[in-house]
Amino acid sequence: MDIRKVAVIGSGMMGSGIAAQVANAGVPVVLMDIVPEGAESRNALAEGAVARLLKQDPAPFMHKHNARLVEPANLEDDLEKLGDCDWIVEAVLEDLAVKYTVYHKINLFIKPGAAVTSNTSTIPLAKLLDGMDDAFAARFFITHFFNPPRYLRLLEIVSGPRTDPETLGAVSRFCDVRLGKTVIACNDTPGFLANRIGGYWIQTAINGAMDLGLTVEEADAVGGRPMGVPRTGIFGLMDLVGIDLMPQVAASMIASLPADDPYVRDFREHDLVRRMIETGHTGRKGKGGFYRLNRESGEKVKESIDLATGDYAPSRRSELESARAGAKDLRALTEHPDRGGQWAWRVLSNVIGYSAALVPEIADSVADVDAAMRLGYAWKRGPFELADRLGPAYVAGRLRDEGRDVPALLDRVGDGTFYRVADGRLQVFGADGVYRPVERPDGVLLLEDIKRAAEPIERNGSASLWDIGDGVACFEVHTRMNALDPDVVTLLQKSLKLVEKEFKALVLYNEGANFSVGANLGLALFAANVGVWPMIEGMLENGQKAMKAMKYAAFPVVAAPSGMALGGGCELLLHAAAVQAHAETYAGLVEAGVGVLPGWGGCKEMLVRHTLDEKRPNGPLPPVAKAFEQISMAAVAKSAQEARDMHILRESDGITMNRDRLLYEAKRKALSLSDGYEKPEAVDLNLPGANGKAALDLAVEGFALQGLALPHDRVVAGEIATVLTGGDTDVTETVSEDRLFALERQSFMTLLKTEPTLARIEHMLDTGKPLRN
Amino acid sequence: MPVYTAPLDDMRFVLNDVLGYESAVAGLEGYGEATPDLVDAILDEAAKFCENELLPLNLPGDAEGCTYENGVVHTPEGFKEAYTLYAEGGWMGLTCDPEYGGQGLPKSIGFAIEEMICSANMAFGMYPGLSHGAYNAIEKWAGDGLKDLYLPKLASGAWAGTMCLTEPQCGTDLGLIRTKAVPQADGSHAITGTKIFISAGEHDLTGNIVHLVLARLPDAPPGIRGISLFVVPKFLPKAENGGWTAGARNGVRCGAIEHKMGIRASATCVMNFDDAAGWLVGAPHKGMRAMFSMMNAARLGVGMQGLGLAEVAHQNAVAYAKDRAQGRALSGAKYPDAPADPIIVHPDVRRMLLRQRAMTEGARALAYWTGMQIDIAERHEDEAVRRAAEDFVAVITPVVKALFTDHGFEAANLAVQTYGGHGYIHEHGIEQFVRDARITQLYEGTNGIQALDLIGRKMPEGGGRLLRRFFHPVQEFLFAHSADPQMKEFCRPLMAAFGQLQQVTLLLAQKGLADPEESAAAASEYLRFFGLVAVGWMWARIAKAVLEKAGDDPAGFHAAKLDVARFYMKKVLPETASLGLSIQAGKKPLMAMADSAF
Repeated sequence: MDIRKVAVIGSGMMGSGIAAQVANAGVPVVLMDIVPEGAESRNALAEGAVARLLKQDPAPFMHKHNARLVEPANLEDDLEKLGDCDWIVEAVLEDLAVKYTVYHKINLFIKPGAAVTSNTSTIPLAKLLDGMDDAFAARFFITHFFNPPRYLRLLEIVSGPRTDPETLGAVSRFCDVRLGKTVIACNDTPGFLANRIGGYWIQTAINGAMDLGLTVEEADAVGGRPMGVPRTGIFGLMDLVGIDLMPQVAASMIASLPADDPYVRDFREHDLVRRMIETGHTGRKGKGGFYRLNRESGEKVKESIDLATGDYAPSRRSELESARAGAKDLRALTEHPDRGGQWAWRVLSNVIGYSAALVPEIADSVADVDAAMRLGYAWKRGPFELADRLGPAYVAGRLRDEGRDVPALLDRVGDGTFYRVADGRLQVFGADGVYRPVERPDGVLLLEDIKRAAEPIERNGSASLWDIGDGVACFEVHTRMNALDPDVVTLLQKSLKLVEKEFKALVLYNEGANFSVGANLGLALFAANVGVWPMIEGMLENGQKAMKAMKYAAFPVVAAPSGMALGGGCELLLHAAAVQAHAETYAGLVEAGVGVLPGWGGCKEMLVRHTLDEKRPNGPLPPVAKAFEQISMAAVAKSAQEARDMHILRESDGITMNRDRLLYEAKRKALSLSDGYEKPEAVDLNLPGANGKAALDLAVEGFALQGLALPHDRVVAGEIATVLTGGDTDVTETVSEDRLFALERQSFMTLLKTEPTLARIEHMLDTGKPLRN
Repeated sequence: MPVYTAPLDDMRFVLNDVLGYESAVAGLEGYGEATPDLVDAILDEAAKFCENELLPLNLPGDAEGCTYENGVVHTPEGFKEAYTLYAEGGWMGLTCDPEYGGQGLPKSIGFAIEEMICSANMAFGMYPGLSHGAYNAIEKWAGDGLKDLYLPKLASGAWAGTMCLTEPQCGTDLGLIRTKAVPQADGSHAITGTKIFISAGEHDLTGNIVHLVLARLPDAPPGIRGISLFVVPKFLPKAENGGWTAGARNGVRCGAIEHKMGIRASATCVMNFDDAAGWLVGAPHKGMRAMFSMMNAARLGVGMQGLGLAEVAHQNAVAYAKDRAQGRALSGAKYPDAPADPIIVHPDVRRMLLRQRAMTEGARALAYWTGMQIDIAERHEDEAVRRAAEDFVAVITPVVKALFTDHGFEAANLAVQTYGGHGYIHEHGIEQFVRDARITQLYEGTNGIQALDLIGRKMPEGGGRLLRRFFHPVQEFLFAHSADPQMKEFCRPLMAAFGQLQQVTLLLAQKGLADPEESAAAASEYLRFFGLVAVGWMWARIAKAVLEKAGDDPAGFHAAKLDVARFYMKKVLPETASLGLSIQAGKKPLMAMADSAF
């Protein structure tokens, strides 16, 4: 079965978010809700949801045009619309009566073979199917998305004995390939994987912090980064998701779990939490939560709640020695004698112990549990990966010494670890005591797997070149944040020569959180502060040479970005023969934000792209103006689809929804291009020169007068205008790519020698935010 | 007895002709009166005081030393009288705020006067020097109550000050401080503990002594983040006739004084605090911040001690070399009528004298330039300019401290060497310079610590922002003047050394990120490299100033400047080449050998 149209019932936060993601995949979706009493439009709820989706930040839509694929509808007039939907997702209230009503209502209209799934997070499949006929049961299962559905990659699927495997397979595949989710099969147990363990983690962490007298800042300092959890830690996370959710989730879990389950056993109702909810202190959406921003004094003061008294006081940075001592060593963290160390051990031992006791009850493989926590809760490591870091035998030994139960699985792994590498392959310890290779689905190719089994063809401290099979090589950057430094450029140049001799094509790809955040600013700033101008100009020129060699290579180079591709990272995309981008690619030439301009051909390539755009107005100025707007505003595409709009991606470039499928598809693209590949022809441009620059300067003056451009913005924009208009030229002359490279270098160096530019770079490195000067 | 004549001509030349003192400082808010005429007059007076009052006390003060008896410390004969003259002459308050009875003159003038005092009698200079440190810390960090009480007393010299940091178990690592401060009902604190190496901790020069003491509050976090600063007077101030006088004795006593290698006329005390009443300066647990501002000023002050000693050692070495007749010049007798030529005819003697002079005069220019940047950092109307000046001072402070004091010691040794055996005899006063100079390389952070400060703290700050305030002006100078044919002989060597400094700076910054030991292994050599280039920059500026004034030079002052500048470029600056090689050798030659093999 092919899923060509989808319906989502329930236009709340989850339902509308799921609908948006289906639209992001280019698939039409009907969004249905009830007809509200007294509303003007019978589709008011769904329409309101679409309007809300368009305003939300981070945006649920990858492109605002995708909203057109969402068709608002209602459950009274539009049930026939279900007739041509291949998959119907129910995301209504977590109330069985309401859900039954919906199921019975839609059952008459569903076309044969279509799938129906529920996005329930708390109700067991067996209950949902209670009293439903076999035909419905065959097409029905649970697809549990995480909020926000666009950004969180986890999808838990729970099927039952009556589920039709073909229907299940079709939806799973659609969610994987088209919606980009990592599908994890879970057993039909309360809270499935992520919320079962995540909910318990929150509970044990809050109880522990109260018992041991940690402040919220201390708990988040220890429970965040050192434990591989996002910086928000526990209390920051609760503020983010809403504190009022805590008792709701707990109540449903407690109702469905046996009384001796640690989740139930350790549950406590906290007066503080109750009072906070009563007074509207539900977190960021309310009047503040465990943290709040107090604006009473006119300035924003970050405050934290006192867990004992409930009073707010200005936040104080944690001084706990354990957070420092344990920053890189998890075991040292749990052994530290201060309250932070005691708490860390309590939380980790409880979470690891609980998780170990639940496999295979909740999932077949510990790898699934780890993946669920990584993808659903953004942990750096799941509970079994954490156990491996501590040493399973160490954890078991400590539990035993403390007179606590050692779960059978933890006992069974003994002196081994849950994961190991054997024969170059990752293996995972099964509940039956046997190690098995971690299997990847068809169409998934991971560099991490290749790296386990092979040595790089070339490498230096900043980048490596890998053989990924079938005559394709992969160039991987592996610096901090994948920033580009001279070593990256050197290895890229070397790789291009090597690939020409020994391979058919090259893929630029890595498995960091970001493809590349651009040039290493710290290095550039230091070099500028010391005044080694010739060296900096040499680095620029070398980068340009590498970009040019890549663009005009005799073989195709395919860039496969995911995450940020900024500045120099974006210039890599622009000089590649083709791009296969992960849908969550954030590309842009952001150099103006730090007071410089794209110096590795970014200005040049944007001019070329906008000039070659067939839909552009005639005349020499429109492409220049387009490129100017983009570069001087440091515009960043918030998705691969937006990048296509900005001509950073071409129509012919591909988009991959599932992160894990990116390398496979990039490789396939590279191979398809390699047969009869012809390198691009050089483009000579006719640029407007001084006249065009005057026009752009005038526009910037206008912005400045409106207060939209700051003093140094004008200087930076002036240099960008100089480059984009071709310097000393006019429309009767042609400007070569090399001439544009030279203009970029000259203007870049001019800007780098100014104090405000250096102040911008320093500020960016210090704070991660642009300086407005 | 050593001789000393304040180098007023050179001081004026540096300030007015090389550094453009008037346009840079006299334009700052509140400094309008600091015209060249006034500055001249002040320097003249200071020179007289140093030459006539302080110099004669230096050698006898060293011989007599301080004496200790039952908690009382006596300074050597004549010190009290000299101190009284000093205070009455208004020298103590010269750069202090008029609101507190000071004269409000620029700090940079203070630098020149400090130099003279240190040349004439470094041990004497310790007493007002520490009072200044205390004044600055209270002025910057204390509340109005403490300021109104103590600042006028310190500015007038009626009371003296100290800095109490070191304890028996902690010197460099102040995180180990144990002295405790217990809050009292009246808002004061009871301070208990022992401090050692406290200069001017106890003496008979003033009616009261104001100690600035680092101590730990009961709820203090461990380590360096749990230290607070307190003011603890020897006598509790008593209100009287609308002013303050020294009242009841506080619980602080001198337990002993140290017997030292040098600066024997400066009392170095063990101070015992026994529930002494103290008052918090600044915020609780933020004592290090206050301490650092005090220490940075003190570090520059120690640098000036090195400079002052180098100058007086040089003057005496020159006098001796011109006077002492032995043998003949190798090129034939220069003074055939005399039985022998003076030893100044010998190349090696001239090498010693020129080494002293080249570094001293270049360092003087760098010191005064730094003083001017302090004035700019405090008073300039443009915040960006103030910040840039502050950055420069921050980066150059460890260089001034270590380079100048290493030079002070070397110059003193070269003076002894010039004297031959006579230099080793106490009554000539030359060996005293060596002994006095030795402490300057140790206190206020050893010179090794200065190097670590430069490379570990100042270098990475703001991605190298502090470095910019040095590297960019040097580069701009070279860019502006290297094409000038007359400047070529000065700019070329400077450019080469500067270029190499840029390279080793980048190298160490990168290496240091990956392995802090790598940069630490090169720290002292790097500081010296940096300092030699900084002084080279000053010599190039001096040469430029001389060339601009070409013509009228009856005393040969300008011609000599160019000769010394050439000496510096050809005979001193090339040391950087060797330093560069050593730096590039990395940490391995230092770290390869096992501890047990030592």
